Amino acid sequence: MALIQIAEPGQSTTAHQHRLAVGIDLGTTNSLVATVRSGEVDTLPDVDGSHLLPSVVHYGKDEVHVGLTAQQYSVSDPWNTIVSVKRFMGRGADDISAKDEHYSYSFAETDSSVPRIKTRSGDVSAVEVSAEILKNLKQRAVKTLGDDLSGAVITVPAYFDDAQRQATKDAARLAEINVLRLLNEPTAAAVAYGLDTGNEGVIAVYDLGGGTFDISILRLNKGVFEVLATGGNSSLGGDDFDFVITQWIIEQAGFSNIDDPAFSRLIMQHARSAKEALAEHDAVSINIDAENGSWQGSLDRDKLNELLTPLVKKTLMSCRRALRDADIDIEEIREVVMVGGSTRTLIVREMVAEFFQCEPLTSIDPDKVVATGAALQADVLAGNKPDDEMLLLDVIPLSLGIETMGGLVEKIIHRNTAIPVAKAQEFTTYKDGQTAMAVHVLQGERELVSDCRSLARFELRGFPPQVAGAARIRVTFQVDADGLLIVSAQEENSGIEASVDVKPSYGLSDNEIETMLRDSIEHAEDDMHTRTLREQQVEADRVIEALDSAIASDGDQLLSEDETEQINKARQVLVETKSGSDVDAIEQAIKQLEVACEAYVARRMNTNIKTAMQGHSIEEYAPEQSLDAKAAEAKVEE
Amino acid sequence: MPKDILSSNFFELFELPVSYDVDLNKVQQHYMALQKEVHPDKYTGATDQEKRLSMQQTSWINEAQATLKDPVARATYLLKLKGVDINLENETTMDAGFLMQQLEVRERLENIKQENDPLDSLEQMSKELKSASDDMMKSFAQAYEAGEIDESREWIRKLQFMHKAIKQINTLSADLEDELMG
Repeated sequence: MALIQIAEPGQSTTAHQHRLAVGIDLGTTNSLVATVRSGEVDTLPDVDGSHLLPSVVHYGKDEVHVGLTAQQYSVSDPWNTIVSVKRFMGRGADDISAKDEHYSYSFAETDSSVPRIKTRSGDVSAVEVSAEILKNLKQRAVKTLGDDLSGAVITVPAYFDDAQRQATKDAARLAEINVLRLLNEPTAAAVAYGLDTGNEGVIAVYDLGGGTFDISILRLNKGVFEVLATGGNSSLGGDDFDFVITQWIIEQAGFSNIDDPAFSRLIMQHARSAKEALAEHDAVSINIDAENGSWQGSLDRDKLNELLTPLVKKTLMSCRRALRDADIDIEEIREVVMVGGSTRTLIVREMVAEFFQCEPLTSIDPDKVVATGAALQADVLAGNKPDDEMLLLDVIPLSLGIETMGGLVEKIIHRNTAIPVAKAQEFTTYKDGQTAMAVHVLQGERELVSDCRSLARFELRGFPPQVAGAARIRVTFQVDADGLLIVSAQEENSGIEASVDVKPSYGLSDNEIETMLRDSIEHAEDDMHTRTLREQQVEADRVIEALDSAIASDGDQLLSEDETEQINKARQVLVETKSGSDVDAIEQAIKQLEVACEAYVARRMNTNIKTAMQGHSIEEYAPEQSLDAKAAEAKVEE
Repeated sequence: MPKDILSSNFFELFELPVSYDVDLNKVQQHYMALQKEVHPDKYTGATDQEKRLSMQQTSWINEAQATLKDPVARATYLLKLKGVDINLENETTMDAGFLMQQLEVRERLENIKQENDPLDSLEQMSKELKSASDDMMKSFAQAYEAGEIDESREWIRKLQFMHKAIKQINTLSADLEDELMG
């Protein structure tokens, strides 16, 4: 590692190695992966040239299919074909509502709080299904770009609660993807759009996807994207459009045997096609011909609008609330950006235009805009653009609080607070002699515990008995930049502490994830070897490159002939070993070269520091010094 | 940039004088500049320790901005800097007339849905309360600048009541609007 440090201050050593980072839009209906290559951002196609990966997973006899291949099974083998799984991310068994029964797959009866879907390869959770989609996108990126991923930005609906965010992160972990950041979808869209047009001012992003609706109000100013408020509905989207149209068809046709999942999925497909066709035509004919029933009819745009208007109205209610939260009048909105495939539906565009009193922007492909923004942010976070001025300031979508006496929720962090954030509040005991306290963490806007989402429970035990009201329990909520929560509690008179990373309620436990990862690694030891070999080879190249550039700049001044010879010898050994496949030998050769260079590296650093300080005033370095000082202070604190 | 973010108070952080009157544009400018230095996105490749520090500093800056932007929070913070804690619950002595008014507001809100045009009534009430609370803010500022700590504290306690009522009205209006739309 020593070799990398021999740069001139203010200059990079060798050509900075571009780290491969991608943006992933993990959607309800479709998913995408995008990346920045030589300054240009692109979504990546699969081998057949298609960019959208249908978020469909089929569990076959021997293998798992993802995407188009899986979609082909949705009518012939609906029980084992999982669609719209995003709707169940971070959801408990109790959350599976009657509405969800129109999905053909069935949920296993388990005593676990995590719903598992029955398939022929066993019961799977939403996290596992999503991980299959992520793995597929990861493979696509690695294949296309010919390098391993250093990390990914994965987008989530802004309105996702903590459990849903955790579940998404778990899925990424299961797919062995390093998550650089969970990014809110509308924020990602704003980045793609904002950087595209260079616009400044307040904008609204209206994002209606397959299963979720998000509205975000953002202020754009000199590369800073500040989210002022966000709102929405995490179970409302284009799937619901399809559902009401399906119901209408069933009613018109008088179908009765719709329990057959293959049949109901067939009707749903007709409903979807009709909806899509009506974006271009005034009326479409529907022709269903199946064993279970046949129907010929037509649907016109007026009828479609009538069916969809109540759903679109629901989205506008969320818009109004977001504006109120942001303390922004409708007139102040300069632009409305449309995101998500469902904004192609004309009635949506019309009603949004009327509500915001301006023509919505649809110039960027609504399917690709989120992945594009995520890729731009991934590029910045991976460190490929060290001087980039772009910065995203996001908020938490739903209030966080704890349960107090009487089943009420005391809010500790209110919705639309900028993150990261840390807030503490003091509570006390209710009974004399109480020595323990249960902390029940909740998320939501309502006052009653039963109306909010339960995120976690933990207990603070063993503080000394005191009279009621004398104990001082300080509960601290900390939300990081991904919007994930950690809660800790401390009884201040005694110093007793307890804390919890909020997660187990609906996610997989850490153990479950470990087991799954270990299983997959055991099956893939060969892959592992190839991977570590590749890593060592890259490292060897890097070391050689750094050395060559150092010697070229001052080797003749700082090295004796003898030293140069020693170094060249070690360098030659490394060059020869690295083309082989012995990982340990390469590692050894790198170490040998570093040893040979030790004195040289030290000499260079001294010379460089001296040169750097000449002709500079010390103040120029002051900011860095104070940063170091701060880092040192923080260490003492721990 | 202040010497040390975590040991600066909210006014020092944004290079402002400690006063009730603040230049919100200046708050916003400093907020942005500081974020560009300390936000976790700038530390993705850093050590865990630096990441933690970045998160703490950003949290502190976020809290500072939120506090200075909100008049009641700002006023409460001013007194906190003087070592005065507003939220001691065992202190209940308060202007009886004011409390009566508050009770009336609460009662009216409870039955608001029975009124002829509840949305209109709510808007009226909200306007009245806001203008009354603006006056209280001014009284607070005067008392505070004059160094009348007890009096300024009294104003804040009243303002907290007003604020709660205004929030409740907002929630009620939102619910009613949703019902009408829905």
